[in-house]
Amino acid sequence: MNVIRGFATTLKHLFMEPVTYQYPEEERPFRDRYKGRHVLKRYDNGLEKCIGCALCAAACPADAIWVEAAENTDEERYSPGERYAKTYEINMLRCIFCGYCADACPTEAIVLEHEHRLSFTNRRDAIYTKTELLEPPPEGMPGTPRQVEPGTFDRAIPEMEDPK
Amino acid sequence: MTETVTLHIDGVSYEVPAGMNLVDAARVYAGVEIPVFCYHPKLEPVGMCRMCLVDIGFEMRDRESGELLLNEDGTPQIRWGRKLETACTTTVRAGMHVRTMTEPVQEARKDVLEFLLSSHPLDCPICDKGGECPLQSLTMRHGPATSRMVLEDKMHLAKHVPLGDLIYLDRERCIQCARCIRFQDEIVGDDVLAFHERGRRLQIVTISDPPFDTYFSGNTTDICPVGALTTADFRFGARPWELQDVPSICPHCPVGCNIVASTRLDRDAGGVKVIKRILPRQNEAVNEIWICDKGRFGHHHSLSPDRLAAPLIRKNGELVEASWDEAIQAAAEGLQAAGKNVGVIAGPMLSNEDLWGLRELAEGLGSKRLGLWPASLGDAKPLDEVGVASGTNFAALGKGDAVLVIATDLEEEAPIWYLRVKQAADRGAALIVANTRTTKLDHYAAQTLRFAVGGAADVLNGLTAAAIGQKWIAEDLIESRVSGFGDLQKALKNVSGGDEDAAEVLARAENLVIVAGNDGLDAEGHTALLQAAANFLIVTGHVGRAHNGLLPVWPGANTQGALDLGYESADTRRMLSRTPRALLVAGADIAADPAGAKALQKADFVVCMTLFPDATAEAADVVLPIQSTTERDGTFTNAERRVQRFYTAHGPLGESLSAWEAAALLGQHFGLPAPRYNPALVMKAIAAAVKPYADISFPALTAAEVQMPPIGEAKGFYGGTARPPIGGTGIQLPARSEGRGKLHVKPVDAPGAFEVGEDELLVVPVRRLYDRTPEFASSKLMHDRIPQPFVALNEADAARLGVASGDTVEVSADGAAVTVTAVVDDYAPQGVAFLPLRLSADPFPMIPVTGTVTRVAEALPVGD
Repeated sequence: MNVIRGFATTLKHLFMEPVTYQYPEEERPFRDRYKGRHVLKRYDNGLEKCIGCALCAAACPADAIWVEAAENTDEERYSPGERYAKTYEINMLRCIFCGYCADACPTEAIVLEHEHRLSFTNRRDAIYTKTELLEPPPEGMPGTPRQVEPGTFDRAIPEMEDPK
Repeated sequence: MTETVTLHIDGVSYEVPAGMNLVDAARVYAGVEIPVFCYHPKLEPVGMCRMCLVDIGFEMRDRESGELLLNEDGTPQIRWGRKLETACTTTVRAGMHVRTMTEPVQEARKDVLEFLLSSHPLDCPICDKGGECPLQSLTMRHGPATSRMVLEDKMHLAKHVPLGDLIYLDRERCIQCARCIRFQDEIVGDDVLAFHERGRRLQIVTISDPPFDTYFSGNTTDICPVGALTTADFRFGARPWELQDVPSICPHCPVGCNIVASTRLDRDAGGVKVIKRILPRQNEAVNEIWICDKGRFGHHHSLSPDRLAAPLIRKNGELVEASWDEAIQAAAEGLQAAGKNVGVIAGPMLSNEDLWGLRELAEGLGSKRLGLWPASLGDAKPLDEVGVASGTNFAALGKGDAVLVIATDLEEEAPIWYLRVKQAADRGAALIVANTRTTKLDHYAAQTLRFAVGGAADVLNGLTAAAIGQKWIAEDLIESRVSGFGDLQKALKNVSGGDEDAAEVLARAENLVIVAGNDGLDAEGHTALLQAAANFLIVTGHVGRAHNGLLPVWPGANTQGALDLGYESADTRRMLSRTPRALLVAGADIAADPAGAKALQKADFVVCMTLFPDATAEAADVVLPIQSTTERDGTFTNAERRVQRFYTAHGPLGESLSAWEAAALLGQHFGLPAPRYNPALVMKAIAAAVKPYADISFPALTAAEVQMPPIGEAKGFYGGTARPPIGGTGIQLPARSEGRGKLHVKPVDAPGAFEVGEDELLVVPVRRLYDRTPEFASSKLMHDRIPQPFVALNEADAARLGVASGDTVEVSADGAAVTVTAVVDDYAPQGVAFLPLRLSADPFPMIPVTGTVTRVAEALPVGD
């Protein structure tokens, strides 16, 4: 009797839809809060959100982030305000994907997105530089650096609103 | 001892000196931190920011009997103030009770911070001060979590206002504490900053032209309690928590300011450590918490791309790069050929260890010629006896004391001494300034004395004669310890014309420091000046005890160390006139002087150890790259004979080695032992061989004296970003006069003023703080601050020569010529032209010489 019950289970599963994803042909949808590889965001106008404050590097428990800042000018503007990240590197071999960097960021410039297929053949390649981390400018917007009207982007931190 | 009173803070009683500032007393004696913004222990309190509000009360006494009124439980009754009071404007008195943690006090702090932040941009993430900002840390500790202010109502002011070339002002961040203005007014005395407008529009402006025209501007960024003032040099270089502070000593002048080099790895520099900024390190005996802009911004020589990175050897007349082995081999062969006819000329930026290494090499070669550069210094022997006694501190001089500043423009030659002498004068010390021309220090002088160029020693001889004539002398001391007084008395019998007022002030002062330079003097005049100063000090009894003695204004950071280790300027002069077959020139650009350049040509073989490929290196046969201060460990001896240690801040540039190591590598070819393992062992050898240095060792030099007030400590940053005395505050070598031995005075054969013919001009070289030596000019930021080469002419002379202000003129003397701009005013006395040294690359004599000034081109018309 038990034998028949066992075979019945097998038989039933033969006709059920399989749960296996045929990766890489087929990918599973990501949860919104999945923490994959970092992306440096831009504002809608194409300027970089990152202001090079290095708070991400300070928050990083794995010491994976290296930031060097420099000064913006209106002739060569990367981000709003006076300061931008000249060098921005994340060592993906060190990163533990905890997301503290995103929590620390005052301008929401660094976000752990869904990219997870990280592969490298040597340690140096594991260090992602700013060009790799920075997202492309939005459709139709110029990239950075760019020349801007003097006095238009002189504030690094977005304008604050009154508490409601 | 000062009188103490009992101060009660938060119910605990402490014995503190009466009259002490309450903020300082609470911090030092009770460990209670009363938060402050505008108060700074080095500045007069103003009570502007209201952050230090506390509850102050006094014990009540019966009006008739004066008895303490007691509560039922036996505690004294206290009458608390009706309102909170500012602690920074309160001095400690007997029976004072202070509450710092009550609810009204905490509420007040919260309100003050909320108010200060009402227009603050809160851009801490991009602010250079973020992380070491008093406003930030006090807000975290005492401030409100939210603001009730309307955010749209914030004042928006300019965020990027350059105050001069070196400092940026962010008007939004400024909290109007006026620390910067008060620093410039009270401490420096340069009227360069001021408040403009009123109310919420109140802002800092610079009122000088060129803007922020002072040698001390960087200090305002240190004491600024917010990020309103930041330096152009550091700007966004790193976040403060990422920096590693390495204690060091400023290599630019004889003061020997204690500094830290804040280092960080840098991608642009190839991932190696670089210096991001220089901050002062507190040493109350040397620089307090101040440094000048030359020290703060002039650090870029250490990793300058212009520096020599590899040894060079001359092949077929060309200098080509070589390995150390080849270069040492070539140098050894050249020196071998010269036999014992070898001389060493060492510059004042070399450490004691370097100088010792070179001396060991010279002795190994069988030579005793140890020359000190520059060649214009006099005999420093009197300094061993009457150099300032250990414990001397300008900060201790005040009413009843006197300072004589002679033959030096202190602001240009030793800026921190300028600042400290000026403050001593402010406290009531009698300052007498004697020079051939007006200097900025004259403004604070009780009396100024003028003398013709070269006549410095005559001034002191006159003063000594007057002091002896009027019996303002230390008779006991003369009787018991002084030898040669009779001769001196006899020699000075016929000397008259000494200023009696000045002599009285100086001779009868409680403490006297004579600050003597060599401005407008040749070696003979300098020798005479030092001996004359020693005579005056000994005769009037101002030797052998703290705050007394002679302080020489040497041209370099370690000139004193070189003298202590047996180097002499006189040897250099002998070598320049009778050049040895082989010369070893280390850290000295002797080609900047025509006599030096000539010697370089005359010598058969020249080995040059240098930081930069300068004109001396070009004339050398072997050039060896040596290391700057921040690349290695070592010691400097400042002009007060304080031996101070500096530490390795970053790796060496290219293949450069310490000069002592290079010398030892060379010495191996002459049977000398292999290089010592580290500079500490070199210092050990110095201690064993040189008597005054017997107690000096690297471990001993790490000891730090307790600094009062404790400004550098990180907690709260109440005094700004000056650093605590990490790495040691140095050991001062005692002067011989502190012992019991004889003191020697001797008649001075003063050479007198230079004689200038009717139609001649005496060209007098003067030192400027900012010059174009590669050690300083490699800091690109400072270029606009370095004056263009100029010569200062008297109106009468200019009229005679047909030269107008702004004309391009050629100044020539002794076969050397420089082309400079003429500045015509009444600054230079008639017959004298002042020519600042090293503003152009052309060599020019470093002592006063008669020369000619001819017009080359007319001044360009000023465009409208």
